[in-house]
Amino acid sequence: MFSRRVTIAATILAILAPSAFAQSTTDPIVIGASTPLTGSVSHFGQHARWGAELAIAEANAKGGVLGRKIEIDFQDNRCNPAEAVKSVTQMLATKKYVAIFDGLCSSVALAIMPLVERAGVPFIVANASATSIAEKSGVGGNKWTFKVNPTDASMLDALIGWLDKAGKAGNIAYLGEDTDYGRAGSAGLEAALKKRNQKLVMVDYYQKGAADFTSVLTKIKAKKPGLLALYAIDADFVNTIRQWYSLGGGIPLTGRVLVDQVPKEIMASGFLDGTTSVQPYDPSVDTAANKAFVEAFTKKYNEAPMLISFESYETINILIDAIRRSGDASPAAIRDALASTKYKSMLDTTIEFDANNLIHNNAIIFEIKGGKVVIVGMSKT
Amino acid sequence: MDVSFFVQLLLNGIVIGVIYALIAMGLSLIFGVLEIVNFAHGEFYMLGAMLAYFLTVNWGFGYWATIVIVTVVALMVGYVLYEGLLASLRGESFERSILLTLGLSMILQNGAVFFFTTTPKMMETPFSYSNVVVGDLRVPLARLFALGLGLAAFGALYFILYRTRVGKAMRGVAQNRDAALMVGIDPRAVSRLAVAIGIGLSGLAGAALAPVYAVHPLMGFSFVFKAFAIIIIGGLGNVSGAAIAAVMLGVLESLAGGFLPLAMVDALAFVSMIAVLLLRPQGLFGRGVRV
Repeated sequence: MFSRRVTIAATILAILAPSAFAQSTTDPIVIGASTPLTGSVSHFGQHARWGAELAIAEANAKGGVLGRKIEIDFQDNRCNPAEAVKSVTQMLATKKYVAIFDGLCSSVALAIMPLVERAGVPFIVANASATSIAEKSGVGGNKWTFKVNPTDASMLDALIGWLDKAGKAGNIAYLGEDTDYGRAGSAGLEAALKKRNQKLVMVDYYQKGAADFTSVLTKIKAKKPGLLALYAIDADFVNTIRQWYSLGGGIPLTGRVLVDQVPKEIMASGFLDGTTSVQPYDPSVDTAANKAFVEAFTKKYNEAPMLISFESYETINILIDAIRRSGDASPAAIRDALASTKYKSMLDTTIEFDANNLIHNNAIIFEIKGGKVVIVGMSKT
Repeated sequence: MDVSFFVQLLLNGIVIGVIYALIAMGLSLIFGVLEIVNFAHGEFYMLGAMLAYFLTVNWGFGYWATIVIVTVVALMVGYVLYEGLLASLRGESFERSILLTLGLSMILQNGAVFFFTTTPKMMETPFSYSNVVVGDLRVPLARLFALGLGLAAFGALYFILYRTRVGKAMRGVAQNRDAALMVGIDPRAVSRLAVAIGIGLSGLAGAALAPVYAVHPLMGFSFVFKAFAIIIIGGLGNVSGAAIAAVMLGVLESLAGGFLPLAMVDALAFVSMIAVLLLRPQGLFGRGVRV
């Protein structure tokens, strides 16, 4: 009886084993992703997803990588580190994912970093901008985290340098969301100003998702700063700009102002003339690769891409390039391939990771002049 | 201190206070009559704003027609909500009502994300960028309209509750459901009407505020928790108390926001709520009698 059971088990094993082996070499390569698909910044999460999915669709249309299709699984993190830790821990436990993509929010990315380090899976950050992510990566300790977008500190240093030359860096007030993103913004500005013997004249933070900013904007207006550095995104940004306009702010903005999301009526009125902003991207960048991206994105999603979509698209392309060079799509080989990346960016620069696993692409400095957004400079971050 | 700065803060506070009141009154009415805390109230406000957005931007309706249509649709939704879901809670546990409305809130919020995406939308009206300017003081016209609608809604609700037979019936059901039944009042019809009016008010709030704030699936969240604090401060189930507490909180927050860091201002509503619960558990205007 016992030998009969062993024979049956061995037969089943013999039938299944070859198919299991075949599955491992022909199955799709799966990337895990954690991004806010609900919650107060889900609009950005949606664009992160669209950018990533477009890059993957294009790669799969060309036959995939290493003869296999690529897939990406998105888990919602609501921009909440606790949610991200839960979902990324589950993803890593399955050992199905060759890399983890993004997190979007800085607090979330910082929470994911120890998890990927323990699991030995590469984590590639597309959108989170806190300087501490890079400080803790590469020679900073975490060998598995790679950051594609510039840090706040490097971008703001470029912006303040430009403002200082124009004699406008002396009287800046700051309003930002009370998160790692907003705190990194004020810290980056303080550091850049300190190098030039200046400091912020006022700092305040609002709770993300708040709708009414009239009292704090009235206070800022009364203080009459030369510029207001604004670190607001998504609906918060739309509400702030509308209310700033309603109150007749009369003070230009600076910082990471999302100039492409300013309502066209406000932009055309000239109210924001003199506003400066630094961003890693703008859809109007005049390169062939960017034009093709904007066209493909707009055609597929019926919306123009924004910074987040660009960063996600380019980051996934960098990851796909590393998977291709890794030879076997194993997490360790992908990490080594990422470290030796030399990638031609859509911004016409060749980018590679430094000792902190950080890429130094160009930052773009914008100014609003005569109701129009003008690129006034590009600066290496 | 600059007087115009102080007056501007006061004006901002009154407007935001009436906006809070518009949302809190419906919540308070539903609690007063049914003893149900409607956790989905913010989502009905959001859906009102979404409908207003689509009526104006996609279908070309004017502002006032949109206000009327959204309010009527919200009244009907309230009617259906009561008959479809809340009526089944009759005599059941308070916890069950919390779970039911929380679940409904999640379904409505995520349904809105699925159908409308999370992209923030702005309802543009002919006066979206117009302001009333007196010296250094500025108030956007859209906020003034919201203020007027809030005051009108309060007046209408007050009239219904205190000057009509149906209002008297609502107050009767709120005070003692069984006694109201004994004197010939149909509690089910009264409750249905209270829910319809409560949801109608949240729809009206959504339509009135769609030109003021960005419209997106999570917009209800920021107001509804403050509205809970307001109805506790005002006296649970006391509609007039909720309205007065809302204006008081709006003014207090605005004045404090002019001088204190925002993080402290955000805590004001909840610190006030805790203080009221400790010192006067029935609320500032509560007399142990709801509605």
